[in-house]
Formats: sequence, structure tokens, C-alpha cells
Amino acid sequence: MKKKNIIQVILHLFLVGALIVVVLPMVYMVSTSLKPNGALYEYPPRFLPGFDEITIENYLYVLGQGKFYINFFNSIFVAVCTVLLAALIASALGYVIARFAFPGKNFLFSFIVLTMIIPGLTLIIPQYQLAVKLKTINSLAGLIPFYTAWTIPYSTFMIKGFVENIPRELDEATYMDGGSVLTVFGRIIIPLAKPGIASVSIFNFLTAWEEFPWANTVINDNIKRTIPIAISGFFGQHQFTQWGYVFALSVFSLLPILAVFIFCQKFFVAGLTSGSVKG
Amino acid sequence: MQTSRKGKFQIGLLLLPGLLIFGIFTVYPIIKLFVMSFFEWDFGSISGQKFIGLENYKEVIQDSYFRTAFINSIVYTFVTVPGQMILGFLTAFLIHQVTRFKVGYRVLYYLPVITSWVIASLVFKYVFNTEGLLNCFLVNVIHVTAKNIRWLDTRWSGLWISMFLGIWKGIGWNMVVFLAALQTVPTDLYEAAAIDGANALEKLFHVTLPCIKGTILFALVMLTIGGFNVFTSIKMITGGEPGHKTDVVLTWMYYKAFSTGAFGYAAALSFIITVVLAALALVQFRMMRQKS
Repeated sequence: MKKKNIIQVILHLFLVGALIVVVLPMVYMVSTSLKPNGALYEYPPRFLPGFDEITIENYLYVLGQGKFYINFFNSIFVAVCTVLLAALIASALGYVIARFAFPGKNFLFSFIVLTMIIPGLTLIIPQYQLAVKLKTINSLAGLIPFYTAWTIPYSTFMIKGFVENIPRELDEATYMDGGSVLTVFGRIIIPLAKPGIASVSIFNFLTAWEEFPWANTVINDNIKRTIPIAISGFFGQHQFTQWGYVFALSVFSLLPILAVFIFCQKFFVAGLTSGSVKG
Repeated sequence: MQTSRKGKFQIGLLLLPGLLIFGIFTVYPIIKLFVMSFFEWDFGSISGQKFIGLENYKEVIQDSYFRTAFINSIVYTFVTVPGQMILGFLTAFLIHQVTRFKVGYRVLYYLPVITSWVIASLVFKYVFNTEGLLNCFLVNVIHVTAKNIRWLDTRWSGLWISMFLGIWKGIGWNMVVFLAALQTVPTDLYEAAAIDGANALEKLFHVTLPCIKGTILFALVMLTIGGFNVFTSIKMITGGEPGHKTDVVLTWMYYKAFSTGAFGYAAALSFIITVVLAALALVQFRMMRQKS
């Protein structure tokens, strides 16, 4: 019994030690955001500000800028729309592929899985051209269909797996009661595949929330920028990078993700792993 | 079960939005990419595009900048994939053994994963600045070097920052995936191994790893794709500098397309990367199958 306790202590020591290294960059980000701007160019730099130095001036500056709220709202708008669209579309696809036979089904599913191999950014050129044609360059709403399309393969793949675990007897019972394909979708599949849909949605939210290259390529207007573009804009804007502002804005932009993550922790992990364990 | 006419109509209705979005925004661009790669593509051209056959492919393959970027991508992938997997697995292995604070560790180790690439890149850039915290630590605290090291100014040190970031950001994902896999290993196998006199290391190699082979393959394929997908960190940290020496395939592709307008070249490059990745995924699947 005693030997077991010692082993446990050693394990925790290792885990905590490694954890300190892992969270160090995050701590440094927060500590830098709390330093007065003048202290950011001092040499040698310090890991933590002095107690009397701690200030929220960087946060106040960010909050004092009108465009911050616009950028924030833009990101929320794009992420929420993407999540809802992707959830609906991928659930429908996942349901139909899991439950029904139709011509070209195997081809469709293999193709969807295969597109997961293609690095998303390699398609940026034809997608850019498409966006020009559809006149969605420099349009916030124009981001949504592209993001949705990117999230469909992974989402469909995951949700199909969840649907397959729902007993078919429930479908049959609904049909017996005179229900249709759509009734089964609305009353059986969506409610029972909810954990899967939720976990995929959290992942999609993160994808849309932090997406950088595409938004950076197609959005030019200041007021249409999403948060990641705003942060990188801050970074290049002044001759001296105002690191205090950059990191204060970064901390703000992490809050929604943190909130989503903490509230949905259970779903998040379930979604990540169900695909892998089967494989 | 026979599907009624109404049922068939509803199935079609459910498929339609997905097929439309996927078709227009993913399938069409894939086909378009393939077509563009055979043309000397000019966005402004009214008279139509000029077909040049395999010229773009030839140009890509003979381009020394592309070769540098390709080697960088390979190095990035070969360093970060095992790096993340080994550290992620070790973390999962330890968390699996502890009896308390499991959830706490899981959440905290996952934090870097949910930090956006833009933010993480900026933090790393700031730390590795010539006047940054790391140099200060090396020079003033542990005295391993007398002068500040210019991390961002050479090919390999610049790449190392991105690789370091890639590993740091990936540990959490691997931890979660492996933790789930470890929970599926039947405990009686360990008991049987213990009766046979296996030590901890033997248990790891003869029981644990074979049991989670599927997960290892899954992680390997996903991370290899992720390795070739690296873009934002390179763009933010070194921007390909100095002289495109730290570019990876995607940042080089992006530069060629959007800074020089060589869309045909970039399309050919994209297609080459896709084929390389598909081939790699296939090889990985084969290798894992053979081992069983």
C-alpha cells in the first residue's frame, strides 16, 4: 500500500512539472497583458510584472476601441452561423448515409472521407476564384458557406458514427406509428445523436472562431474583420508592436472558447475519441 | 424495408443541402484546381487561359524554392508528429495511472489546443525575440551564451520555433485521444502479463501498444495531414524569412499565388502536395496492417 502511494506522488510530480512547462506560454501572455506598455521594451524582460506595476490599461485601451466590439460580433456571427448550418447539414447527411441505401452512397461517403486528407488551404486558389465569381469577396456572410463546407466531411463522418449506434428498432417503431423519414430525423435521430452533434459543433465553433488564412485573404475592410485578423492587424499596424494590446485582445478572444470548452468538456472529449477507438 | 415514394423524396430533401454546399465549395474547387494546374492562369485575362500542359508541374519540381519548402514541410512533419505523439502518449499514460485530479489534468493539458494559432504564434514569437525572454534567460540566468541568439534570422532556428509550437499545441490532442484508447485495453491482459513475469516496459510494448494500434494509426494519419497543413505559425513567426528559407509548402504556395500571381504554378503545387499526402496516408495504412 505504501509503495503505491509513493508511485502516485512521483506520477503527480511528473505531471505537474510538465504542466508548468505547458502552461508557461499562456501565463506569460497574461502577465505581459498586465504590464504597463512602457515596461514591454525594457531589457532584460521579466516574466512577471512587479506587484505595484500591474495595470489593466491594455484591456481598457482595447475595450475603448469601437472596432473591438465589431470584430468580436463578426466572429460570433460567423462562428454561430457556421456551427448551426454545419450541424443541420452534417446530421442530415450522416443520418441518410447511416440508414438508407441509395445509388452512389458508397462513393459519396468515401469521397467525403477522402477530402479530409486534402490540406484545406490547397483549395484556396479555386475557392478564391469562386468567391470572386459569387461576389462574396470582402463579405462577412461570404465566409460562412466556405467554413461550413470545410467542416462537413469531419462532422458527417463523426455524426454518422453516432447515428449507427442508435437502435434501428426506434426508427421502425416511428414508422409503425405512421411517421416519415423526416419524423424519424426530427424525433429520434437528432435527440439521440445530440452528444455527437454537440461535440462536433464545439469543434466547428473553434475552427470558425480561429480561422485565419481564408478570412485574411478575402476580408479587407476593417469593420468586417474577425478577431484573428484584428489581432494580426494590431501586430503589423505600428512600427513597434504594442504587445500589451495584442495580448490583451488575445485574452479577450480566448474567453468565448474557454467558456464553450469548460461548459461542454464532456462532449468535447467524447467527440474527439469516438472516431479513433473504433478505427 | 421498402422506402415509399414520399420517403425517397424526403431522403433527397435531406441530402440536397449537403450535396449542394459540398459540391459547390469543395468538389468544384478540387476539379478547378486540377484544371488550373495545366494552364498559365491569369485572373485578369479576358481572352481565356493558355493551356500549357505539364509546364507548371515541371516548373514546380525544378524550383529550388519549392524544394526548400518541401524539405521544410517534411522536416516539420517528421519532427512534430512523433514529438506530439510520444509526449501526448506519455502524458496520457501518466494521467491514466493517477487516481486523483484526472479531469483537472485533462483540461489543463488541453488548453494549448484551444488557443488559436494566431495567438500561440505571437506568444512564441515574443518569447523567441532577439531581445525576448528566452534569450534573457539563456544569457543572464543560466549563462549558456554570452550574446543574444537571433532565433528568427536563420533557417533552422526559425523553423524550430514553429516546430516547438506545433508540438506544444499538439500534446493535448494526443493526450485525449490516447487516454480514451488506454481505457479500452482490457485489464485482464495486464494481469496475464504480470503472471508471465512481464515488467512494466514489457507490458507497455507487448500489451498496451498492440492494443491501441488503431488509435496510433488514426493519430499518425491525422497528424501527418496536419503537419503538411502548417501555415499560420510559419506566416506569423518568420513569414518565410530570411529569403524564403523557412517557407513550408503552403506558405510558399500562398506567396506564389497571392504575391506573384502565379496561380497555375500554385495550383500544380497544391495538387502535388495532395497526391503526396494521399500516398503517405496509404503507406501508413499498409504499414500498420502488415504489422498485425
